[in-house]
This record gives sequence, structure tokens and C-alpha cells, in this order.
Amino acid sequence: MAYMHIGKDFVPPDVPGKVTGRIKYAEDYTREGMVYSRLLTSPIPHARVLDIDASEALAMDGVFGILTADDVYPDGEPQSTGLKILTNEPTLVGEPILALAAIDEKTAETAISRINVTFERLPFVLDPLDSLAEGGANAYPGDQNTFVFRQGFATEKWTEDQVASFRAGNEPTAEAQQTWSLGDLEAGFAASEFVYETTFTTAGYPHHSMEPRSAMAYWEDGKLYLHGTSQSLTALADGMAPIIGVPKEDIVFINAATGGGFGQRARANSIPSMAIPAKLSQKINRPVMMRITREEEFTIGGARQGFQGWIKAGFKPDGVMSACDLYIISDNGGKGGGGDASSAADCIDVLYQPDALRFRGTSIGSNTAHRGAQRGPGQNQIAPIIAPILDKAADALGISRLEIRKINAPRNGDVAGPRQTPFTSAYVPESLDMATRQFDWEGRQARRRQRNGSKVIGLGLGQGYHNAGRSGMDGIVTMGTDGRLKIHNGVGNLGTYSYASTSRAAAEVLKMPWENCDILNVRTDNHLPITSPQDGSNSIFTNTRTMFGAATDMLNKMKEIAATDLGGDPADYDVSNERVHQIADESIGYTYAEVAQRATELGGKFTGEADLPEELAEWTQISVSRLAGSAFMGVYHDPRHEGNPPGFTVTCCEIELDLETGKYEILDMVTIAESGTIVHPQGMENQLVGGAVWGIGLSGYERHLYDPQNGLPASTGYWQSKVPTYLDTPVKIGTGWVDLPDPENPVGARGIGEPSMGAVSAALTAAITDALDGHHFATAPITADMIINHLAGTEENAAPLAQNNFRG
Amino acid sequence: MGEIVRYKRDVWGEEVILGVSWDLLWVVAVAVLVLLAAHAIVMAALAKKDLDRPTAEGRRVVRHESIDRTFHWLMAVSIFVLIFTGTAPILGLRIAWLNIHWISGLLLTFLIVAHIIRSMFWQDLKSMLLTPKDFSEPFDSTSKPGKYYFEQKGMHWAATVVVLAVIVTGVLMFMQIDTPFWNRTNSMPEDQLGLVFLLHGLSTLALVALASTHIYFALRPEKIFYTRSMLAGWMSEDEMAANHDPAKWTPKEAE
Amino acid sequence: MVATSHDVMPDIELYQPTDEANALALANTLGSDGWLLAGGQDTFGWLKDRNKAPGAMIELTQIDAWKGIRETADGVEIGAVTTLTEIANNPIIRERYGVLAQAAGVVASPQIRNVGTLGGNLNQDARCWYYRRGLDCYRAGGNICYADSPEGLNREHAIFGASRCVAVSPSDTAPTLVALDATMVIASQNGTRTMSAQDFFIGPDRDIRSMTALDDGEILTAVRLPAAWANAEFYFEKVADRNVWDFALTSVAAVMKVSGGTIEDARIACGAVECVPRRLEAVENAIRGQQRSDELGARAGELAVEGARPLNYNNFKVPLMANLVARAVRG
Repeated sequence: MAYMHIGKDFVPPDVPGKVTGRIKYAEDYTREGMVYSRLLTSPIPHARVLDIDASEALAMDGVFGILTADDVYPDGEPQSTGLKILTNEPTLVGEPILALAAIDEKTAETAISRINVTFERLPFVLDPLDSLAEGGANAYPGDQNTFVFRQGFATEKWTEDQVASFRAGNEPTAEAQQTWSLGDLEAGFAASEFVYETTFTTAGYPHHSMEPRSAMAYWEDGKLYLHGTSQSLTALADGMAPIIGVPKEDIVFINAATGGGFGQRARANSIPSMAIPAKLSQKINRPVMMRITREEEFTIGGARQGFQGWIKAGFKPDGVMSACDLYIISDNGGKGGGGDASSAADCIDVLYQPDALRFRGTSIGSNTAHRGAQRGPGQNQIAPIIAPILDKAADALGISRLEIRKINAPRNGDVAGPRQTPFTSAYVPESLDMATRQFDWEGRQARRRQRNGSKVIGLGLGQGYHNAGRSGMDGIVTMGTDGRLKIHNGVGNLGTYSYASTSRAAAEVLKMPWENCDILNVRTDNHLPITSPQDGSNSIFTNTRTMFGAATDMLNKMKEIAATDLGGDPADYDVSNERVHQIADESIGYTYAEVAQRATELGGKFTGEADLPEELAEWTQISVSRLAGSAFMGVYHDPRHEGNPPGFTVTCCEIELDLETGKYEILDMVTIAESGTIVHPQGMENQLVGGAVWGIGLSGYERHLYDPQNGLPASTGYWQSKVPTYLDTPVKIGTGWVDLPDPENPVGARGIGEPSMGAVSAALTAAITDALDGHHFATAPITADMIINHLAGTEENAAPLAQNNFRG
Repeated sequence: MGEIVRYKRDVWGEEVILGVSWDLLWVVAVAVLVLLAAHAIVMAALAKKDLDRPTAEGRRVVRHESIDRTFHWLMAVSIFVLIFTGTAPILGLRIAWLNIHWISGLLLTFLIVAHIIRSMFWQDLKSMLLTPKDFSEPFDSTSKPGKYYFEQKGMHWAATVVVLAVIVTGVLMFMQIDTPFWNRTNSMPEDQLGLVFLLHGLSTLALVALASTHIYFALRPEKIFYTRSMLAGWMSEDEMAANHDPAKWTPKEAE
Repeated sequence: MVATSHDVMPDIELYQPTDEANALALANTLGSDGWLLAGGQDTFGWLKDRNKAPGAMIELTQIDAWKGIRETADGVEIGAVTTLTEIANNPIIRERYGVLAQAAGVVASPQIRNVGTLGGNLNQDARCWYYRRGLDCYRAGGNICYADSPEGLNREHAIFGASRCVAVSPSDTAPTLVALDATMVIASQNGTRTMSAQDFFIGPDRDIRSMTALDDGEILTAVRLPAAWANAEFYFEKVADRNVWDFALTSVAAVMKVSGGTIEDARIACGAVECVPRRLEAVENAIRGQQRSDELGARAGELAVEGARPLNYNNFKVPLMANLVARAVRG
């Protein structure tokens, strides 16, 4: 389909600001009378606050007050998963106990050092398996170690023998908290020619957003103005209002740009710390800036869940995955949260379409960083574990590694997951072909495991998947009498340019030149509709639907006005060149400026005063009501879509691994997306390359290091939490996309954020395994020391099945 | 003057004992010097000019068997080495002291244990026991002691307490470092560890004071024959008669 | 109360002497209370986290006499506040002492090398994260090591020469200077003294609070590279988790005189395996007079790691060090 905007590169409006440094992040704002807040955080992994003596600090010049959990939760702290703003029972080192406001940060720090907090130390645990064993410590309040959905905190215990057996590499025998299965597992294994079984671990890893989650807040005329960071403005503000205790109509959330979100700035309950300056400002009646340090970002910011799992996969002689049995203990950290394990099983079902699959999973808390959304819940953790298993099966069955993936690949019409949801569309064999062709996968096979001195070549093929689209959000577009299109977009400015890319769908509908479009975002008082939180790879699918819908509503209204005023039926009209005109006679029509003028005169439904969609979210209703009557308006509530819109990726890579140092160089990498129609090619390439760096980090570098003896996080900066650098990543990462439209999206688009990481991690781990003659570490990340130990036959003294977080 | 105890933050930020304040080393040094100097001055002032000291000539009796003297000097050397190596880093000397320190400590521990066993089965333990009568001895010019007089017994038992405190705490500390025999475990809670360090430090200070006092008296002119006896093993019958009661101590004649 | 993250500079006096005499006078007056500041890359973290609280900083970067690279009668002298970038790019160093240029060129990241100095790199404090967290460990004057325990994170720590503290020398340039038999020039108000690079670095057995032989009031002003080892055969390799912006897991610097494939003389030192750059004299003696070969390299590697005492998570350093030494020797 020939589009005016879709599939075309453009310069998003925030780019000049980012290049020049003029764009403002939360920390860049000031307000007259602004004071600075710093946090006193828990130095203990699990404790109860018995007393806070802040008298000396409060007596200091330039100190304006403190905010404690007692101020925030006068009726007691909520007993639920997720971070509290402040707490009297910290369950991880670094959890905020209180905030103090002072004239400057230096004074605040000095004052905090004079506050004496008396703690009662409580038992703590770092390894979920230690907690799972009878007699092991429990991470959560009330001596509990797990959170059961819709039931609350609970305690889950295995016998010591059961834990020991699992650690020794055997299938867990205890009953799991969560189970789902498909097909006949026993029959699947019976039909298998090749069966592979192993325990595995993956490490929890932190976000590393460039911008810490700083926030500034002040109250004026009963309204709260909160400068913060988010992945989507309205999605975040919608949840932040009740946390702060302010009506939705009285909060203005301001967020021009966000320096990286990756999931944890999507929803208010994963970044509630922004409520601290708001509450403190309310208490001391001054604007409060709360800058979050890099170290705090690690503990307040949270991390992905780590896995301790067991997997058994069977393959029939023809390469079909006949059965997969998966049991995962997921590390829920100090606060609970995250359903990664089930998603990992779902991912296997999606990508390899096994005849039978069983998932069993149990989530256990540990007194480590809280866990939650972060670029792929489960799908990406399992990617580096499963890819080498596919390769082992391929080698054992004499099938090529490409072929076994094609044999098992999901296709249009396939279903997957516990509810056997059909894909909206799926073209994985095509993406496998495209990736291997672009990479010359077959041509490179001759180099596989070739030695050059101490170095050896490894080749890896990986796949990534994530559900990549939602629905049910709202859209608003307006047009002033100048004829410019105003796209009210709550999608956050994360650096993905999605806020602009999704807006292009509205411009497309109205065939509006891009230079005549204004995106209204930055602040929620720009009358923004509720949008998806821009997490889980869903922005482009979800919000092009709402943008398209709102613009279509405006288009229909234009036609209706023109038909009413100029004669004929609305169906007789179309738009082009910023005019609505009759199809038969283009001279009969209105310019956009004229039709906007007419709409304003007519009022009613044309200006949002009547006939609004019934299901509009509260947030959208507030925005529409404030706009009502002021401008020509298109407004839309997106109905639910059918099926699972998937995002798929395929990555090929070649590495050269030095057997004497355990280091490897990624010689070449190609990653291909299958995510429907591509809306913004440059943005797409950015997503794929950025995701690739994350994937390299997942496979080789990133872990949230914790000292198991004392529960201290070692990851307090980039020294002990190693993101890959330019010299650890390929100079050029080849990209491409299948670019076939998805029928459930008006412009054919699906998302790609999460899968771009998983495929790369899978491919890189497969390549490392390949270079090491198939040695399967069954863990992520695989660091140089592990490779050297393997090659030299030296053992490290880690507890069996300990996550990599505790082996630093 | 600063504090006696030094504190630190434990791994979770709570204040715990770190050890003794080494400023006290100077306090002890000055106090001992002042007291001993005062003693020397008083003794010099009281001294009779034509002092009739017992002669070393004539027949000799055995005061210390060679094995006892060996024990004494080995203990003396190990204690000196322990004090030197223990205080060197405090005084700012950059020497590799720790291995020498614990090896000396082990030697001393072995010697002490051996000495305790010997004293109970092969030595005249009673000769060193302090009885109520001993406490009147310094004030009774008519009474002479047996083998050891009151101050000697007092020094011995004070040293016993202090050295036992040093080696017990020292062994506990030894168990907290890597050695050829084991790897450290970090198993002792930090507050207990601090207490052990404090006791080790305090007993070290006491040991410094005792050792200094012991050396001072060993070098006093009127006592030097005891030092000689610890080197050569004998004292003259004249020295014996002047200072000890043969009814309470009957030494063998020296060869 | 311990707050784990401060990230705010405290009030601190800053002296910016522009001549040597002033700097030395300040160092003498301030003693242990004076913090020598060059590029600041190992300074600001300590101060902002309030884990070190010196009374004043003496900034050395305005003293021209301590900057730059000069040829001398017996080699080359490098001012201690010369930046690592300048050393890495200097034609004389690259041509005659390439091993140092190479090491200076892989320190941290380009940004850090642009301001970080040779003196700062040599004098940087231990990189044990427990210590850097501000815990009162042995090195911080306490009575415990948190890294050396059955569960402690000690993957980056020492396999040789530990004495209570198990931290390693983090400097990339230090092993090369030991290998090059460099001389350190140390100034104080009492005059100037020199010592070999090997003696400059001291382990925790001798002083658990300091990694160098510098006394209070002393400043490392220059490093002299002897002509004797100019244009020798060099080998330097640093293995770190990341290829840039990271500390070595193990590094090797070898300086050899080779004729017809025979090693006539050699000096080899490894970094990140001990609290000081570990000079491998046994290896040097074993390879002197030998023909370079894979076998010789393998033997040298085995010899290099004799006596290693790994902790829980740094077993890998033993084969890694052996492999790096083998590479350096076999050519």
C-alpha cells in the first residue's frame, strides 16, 4: 500500500532538542523557592524501623523537614507487591526509609548523616532456593516468601531434600504454584528421538537508564505539578494520582523527554518514588527537587527476575519439538512482582510450537532489588537457554540448525500460549530465510568451529518473541482554524520516537503534510488521552490504532460537515492537499482551516461536546471536557482486537572466541524483524541495534551483583554492573525487516522492542556454545571467567544452581 | 587524652567496637617510664652507701634448671617478637609483620601450654602459688620467702593472666585470617570480633607494661643475680641466704 | 546512620599550587590530611560518597615541571601528571617503550584517559567494591575483610600475596613500569628520593592502608624509563570483562631482549593478581637463554602461577594468568 507517511523516515520533533541539549529532563527544571530532597535508604537487607531520631537534623539551618512512612501511610503500610514510597520495614538494601528536604543537597546529605534510625534486624535471604528450603529465611514482611496472585503474601516451602535434589540437577518434585499445560507430554517424550534435560539459571539485571528517576514537584492553586520521567505520560499520571492522593483532574505531569525506560517507567507502581517529592512538597509547602543517584537507581529502580529452572525438551526424528517440560523458580526480589516464568514457557510455545508443553512455576522472594518490567518478561531470559538446546537437537538429529527452526516455526494461522491464542499474523519462516540470506548463514557454515591459533569460530542463530500489541486506549486529535492538525499524544518520549511514529498514523489518515502537524505531548495539561504505557513492545500497534481512529473520526466529521454544507453524501467526499472535497469534483470542498472553522461554529459532536464514545477512560474524559467547544475534534476509543499480535526477530552472528582468555569478538551480526508494516525505518533500526546491545549484555555481561553473605548490592554503578561498550559490540549490526502488514492494525504495524533483545541473546549464546564444541553453560550471562574455568577444568566454588548474581 | 575504645560501623552501618585505642600505647609507655623512673630515684635515694650485697662467690645452688631457662627465654623472645610485630604497624613501621606475629603467637601458645603441663606434673607448682601469708611478706622483715618472693609471684601470675588473655584472643583472631591451615570464614559476628580485638589490645597494653617492669627489675643492681640465674642457672649460697629461707626452699647444689 | 549513596561533594579546601615548592610545602603541612589530586578520576567518587574525608585537596595539575615527556641521558622521564592519553600517543613512548603506550592506551575509557594521569593511575587506591562502598574493612582501618570469605564476591581479587586484604593492584600501567625497571622519583620538602617501580608498590602485609611506599608529605613527581630496555621486545595484554572502561581481570607486561629467537634477558610482571604488580622472577630466570617456543611459553605459564592461592570465585585467574604469560613468552 502506498503511504504518505508510514514507512518513511522523518525527523522527530525532539531530535534538535536532544542534539543541542536544550530538551529538558526532570532534573533540568527549577522553581522559585525550590528545595532539595535526599533519601535515607536502608543499609540492611531486611529490617524493621524501631525509631527515627531526626531532631539533630531538623534543628540544622536550611533543613525544612522530613517525610517518613508514617506520614505517607498513617493507617499502616499497604501489604502488597510493588515498591512503597517509604517504608518502616525495608526488605532490601537501598529501600527508602525517609526523605529530607534542605536548602541544597549538601546540607541535606549532612543532615541525613545526623539522623539516627534504630533498626531491628530481621532474617534475610538472597537465594530463593535457600528461602524455599525448610527453615530458610523469608524475604517478605510477616515472615513470608511469596505472593500468590489475588491471595496475597504466603509462604512456600520445600523439604531440604527437594531443594538439594533440584540443586543437584534433577527435576523439581514439589508442587508448583502455577501450572499450565498443552497436549500430551508423555506421548510427546515417547515420540522423541532426542531428549535434552538440564537445570539452568539466569541472572536478574538492572535497567541502566541514562536518566535516573529524578522528579520535582510543587503545588499551586490546589494542583500538583510533577516533573518526572515516564514511558507514557497519561498512563503514568493516571496511576500516580492515587498514589499521591490527588484527584486525576488536579495533577499535571510534565515529561518532555525520558532518558530510557525499558519497562519500569511505564506504570506508576513501578516508579512510585516520584511521589516522594510530591508528598514532601505538600508537607513543607515548597517546590521539592529529588535527584536520584546512580546508586539509588539500582535499588529503587529494580531489575528483571532471575530464574532457577529445569527444562526437558524432546524432538522427533524429523526435528519437530514434540514435548517441552519447564519448571522455573523465579526470583521475585524484595518486593514481589513479575510473571516472567510463565511468559518464558509461552515464548517456547510460540517460537517452537511443541506438540506438548507443561509449565510449572513458583515465585520466591529474596532481599534483593525489586523485580518487574524490563524489556521482556521471561521471553528474553529463556532465549539464551533454549537456543543451544535447539542446536543440540539439530546436531543430534542431523538436521541443519536453520532447518530445525523452520520446521518448528510459527506461521500464519498458528496458535500458542495457555489459551491457545491465534496470531494476528506470523511470518517467521520468512524472517529466518531473510536473516540467513542476508548473513550468508549457509556460506559461513564452512567456518564453523574453525581454529585460528588460540581462537575458534562460533556461529549462532537465535529467535526472539514478545506479544507486541494491545488495544482499548483512546485517541484525540484537534484542528484549529489555522488548519493545523494537533495530535494529542500521551505516549512518552523515550528515545524510540514512538510518540512521533504513532502520530504519523493520524497524519496519514488526513493526508496531512508532516510540517503541518503539531504533536501535543510533554505535559498532561495538553489534554492528552489515555495511552498504553509504552511497555511490552506494544506502542506502535496500540497507539497507531488510537491515532488512526481519532483521525478517522475527524475525517468522517469533515466529510459530514462538507456534505451537509456543500451537498451530497459524506461518502462522496475524500481528502487531499489539506482539503476535504468531493471525489467527483475536487473544486467543491473546504480547506482544513475552513472545515475546522465550520466545526467550531457547529459545536456539539464536532468539538467534543456531544456524542463521545461511551467507553472513554476517565483521563480522556477529563481532557476532552477541557477541550470541548474550543476546537474541531476527533476522538476515539479503540475496541479490543482479536488474537495475539506478535513481534518476532531472528539474529545470526559469528564470533571468534579466544580459548586462552575466554573473551570473544562478535565478528558479524544480522538481526531481522518480523513486526508487520514498518512505520519508521530509522526508528526500527535504532530499536533493533539498541535491543542487540541489550541482548549482548544479557548473554555476556549484565547481572545485578549481590554479596550473599551480607545482602549488599555490589551493583551501585557501572563498574560492577557492566553494560557492554562500543568495543564489546560489533561495529555494524546488520538489520532488516520482513515488512508484511498485520491485519489487526490499521497501518499493518506490530511492535518490536522486546524481541530485538532476545534473538541477539539467543544467537550469541548459541555461538559461544558452538565455539566451545557444544558446551552448554545453561546460564546467562556467560562471563569470561566461566569460559576459562570450563576450558581449564577449574571449578569455582559457587553454590549449585546459584544465579550469576551471587558469583562475582 | 582520647578514648579507650575505638568504634566502627559494621557491614550494615551499626556502631560496633573496633578495638582498643592505640593512643593508650603512649599512655602506657609514659606511665611505665614515669613509675619506673620514680622507683629508680626512690631506690637511689634510699640506698645505703656501703651496701653489703651478698657475694656471688663461693658455693652455688641451682635456681633454674636449663629446661626452665630455655622455656623462659623462648617465651621472652616470642613475647618480645609479638610486641614488636604487633606494635610496628601502629608505630608506622612498614614491615611484613603478620606472619611473624602469628608464628610467634603459636610458639608462645605452645610454650604456655607446655609450661602449664610441666608446672603441674614436673615442677614445684607450690613454690609459685600465692598464699595469704605471701601478702604479709613485704611488710615482715624477719620473714624470708621460699624460691620466689611475693613480687616475683605477683609478676608471674599477672603475666599469666595477661599472656593467657593475649593468646586466647590471639588464637581467636588467628582463626579469622587465612593461614596455611585454613581459609577464613568471616563467621564471627562483627561485634564479637571487635570485643576480641579490644581484649587483645588491652592485654597487649598490660603485657607491654608488665614486660617493661619485668625487664626493669631484672636489670636492677640488687636483683641482677636473678637475671644471671636465669641465664646461667645458679645463684650463690650467699645470695640465697640473704634472700631466701632454706626451710622453705632447698635447692640442689650447682655443679 | 549510614546512607549508602551520597553523590554530593562535601565542603573541602582546594589548593592549586603552581610550583613545586608550594606543592611540597602544602603536602608537608597537610600530611595525611592532604589529598593529592591530579585527574580526579580516583578522587571524586571517594569524596562524593563521603567514604574518605581528607581536610584538603592539593591539585597538582598546574605544576608544569611535573608534566610532559622528556628525553634524558639514560632514557626518558615522564612527569607524573602527564595524561594517559598523552603517554599513549607520544611518539617517543610509542617507539621506544611501546608496552607503556599500549598499557596507557587501555586504561579505563578515552574520556578518563584524557584527564587521568600516570601518577594518578599508579597511585590509585584498591578496587575492591566492599572497600569502595565505604565499609570499615581492614584497608579502611577496620578489622575484617568482607571479600575474603566463603560467600564474598572475590572474582576480581588476589591469587597471590594476600594478607588480610585481598584486593589487587588495579593499575594497567604499573606492571609495565615494573617490567621496564622504571625508577620512581619522589619529592618532599626533605628532598628527592628515587626507588624502583617494584619497590614503589607495597602489599597489605607491609601496609594495609596504603598501596605505595609514599610517605605523608611525599609526591610522586616523575617516572624514569631506563634506556637499557628501550626498543626491547614488548608484550602487553589486558583481559577485562569489557574491552573498554573496565579494570583488568589479569594483565601481563613483558619486556624481553631477544636475539635469533633466544631470550637473552626478560622482565615480566602481571597485574590484577596481587596487591602489587607481580614480578615473575622465576619465569624470567627460567626463560633466560631459552629459545622462544610454545613449549617454553607453556612452561613459563605453569611456573608463573606456582603458589597461587585462589579465593572462591577467582580460580579462573590461575589459568588466565598462565595463558597470558605463555603468550608473552612464546612470541
